[in-house]
Amino acid sequence: GAMRNREEVDATLQTAKLNPAELLPAVHCLSFGPQAGTGECCLLQLEPGLCAELEAGNSLVIRGEKHEQAVLCSKDKTYDMKIADTSNMLLFIPGCKTPEQLKADEASCNIIHSQIAGFSSNYWELRRCRPKLKKLRKLLMEDPYEGPDSQKDQTLAFSKYTTEDFLSLIQASEEEILCHLQVIDACKIEGYWRILEFDYEMKLLNHVTQLIDSESWSFSKVPLRTCLEELGSLEPKEMIEHILLSYGRKYIDDAGEVYFEMREEKICRAIAQMLLQNAVKFNLAEFQEVWQQSVPEGMTTRLDQLKGLALVDKSSRPETILLLKVEDLPEDNQERFNSLFSIREKWTEADITPYIQDLCAEKQTVGALLTKYARSSTQNGVKVYNSRRPIS
Amino acid sequence: EAASLARSEGAGGLAQWVLVELQGEVEPRQSGGLAGSLLGDLHYTREGIPVLIVGHHILYGKVVQLEKPFAVLVKRGAGEPGPAEPRTHYAVTALIKTKLLFKTRPKPIITNVPKKA
Repeated sequence: GAMRNREEVDATLQTAKLNPAELLPAVHCLSFGPQAGTGECCLLQLEPGLCAELEAGNSLVIRGEKHEQAVLCSKDKTYDMKIADTSNMLLFIPGCKTPEQLKADEASCNIIHSQIAGFSSNYWELRRCRPKLKKLRKLLMEDPYEGPDSQKDQTLAFSKYTTEDFLSLIQASEEEILCHLQVIDACKIEGYWRILEFDYEMKLLNHVTQLIDSESWSFSKVPLRTCLEELGSLEPKEMIEHILLSYGRKYIDDAGEVYFEMREEKICRAIAQMLLQNAVKFNLAEFQEVWQQSVPEGMTTRLDQLKGLALVDKSSRPETILLLKVEDLPEDNQERFNSLFSIREKWTEADITPYIQDLCAEKQTVGALLTKYARSSTQNGVKVYNSRRPIS
Repeated sequence: EAASLARSEGAGGLAQWVLVELQGEVEPRQSGGLAGSLLGDLHYTREGIPVLIVGHHILYGKVVQLEKPFAVLVKRGAGEPGPAEPRTHYAVTALIKTKLLFKTRPKPIITNVPKKA
């Protein structure tokens, strides 16, 4: 229709019995724009920090395959998306000025024709969530790297993934993905992210620990250069360096030489895994003896090194230990607790903590999780947790 | 499958829009739908109170600074056809930090093209 003019506006004011003297001179004549009813426009409520990110020119990405619930990712955070329904009508209007803006610009024109771009009674709401990273390891485990001598068919390209592939498959921000790749000791081989097959990883580690022993180096000062020289004929240099990065802390001395401080806990843990994966469970005392003998000379094994890797049963006679890796358990909170309670009916907080720690949301404690998903009772004077409902 | 909310290119930063929140639903009076039809006149009193005249109703509201701003997403067309699933791309076209909240709810608001005086 034809645009309203000042006479029409004033006539309406008169009919409405409003005194123009009490109003600012400028009026917005609101009409619906051509796209208004089409639903092409929608609202996303921003959590703190996201507004600033958008204003700084960063993008937000929605990720999720058809069977997954969509998440929104900034460059370093992940959010669940949910529709929030209001009972009201929300109109979004470009070029609509606030009273402050109008007062600041007294010379602005008298009639502002504003087109409503769209309207909705709902909007997307965001809630910060844990990035869904379990799939990352699952994809990498499809084709673990077994070393250059592996007989495996090298043309299975479909099971190899680049960073770009992960960005479209994993429901997490780029930073969370890259951080997790580092945590799980993934490495890039020929442009693809790979995880080492465990036996190959142990073979590499063994080369290094044997060299440390034969050279009588301190565990806190392992020189990269010499490792590459001595072991470079046995394994690819990238792999030697990768195993040092995985199991040591890199530093550079004043002369610019690269050294590694070997991580005792991680090495002992890996060797424990190597021993435990060969049977369902072990006699604890026997295991501890073999374990101590198997680690490099000079390293000391301690059961608390195995948190989240192995579970000790102190109630059985003799006491036993079995392999239980937290990364093999379900990612969803309820499923994780169901799984843990089907493995063991009652848990102490100390025993269960390593297996639920990773479920904690920002500022959430293990105690809060236990309150929500478990029921507590006292057994022999000790507080224990069991399932809230019967496990089928 | 990922849909990216890339920022719209625009001279210097994202546009700032305003949200108007009304009670009830907006219904078109003409059968042709809403596009092009007038909603009403928005005035402000000298004290900064928004006053909306819609048809025969006067609504008084207030200016609210949003604690959580909104981003306005606009759907860009589906992706290229082909073996991959068509992707829906959204672009962030504007930010909304301010809303005009009208709480009074007389009757359903009907759009109207006022007669000339």
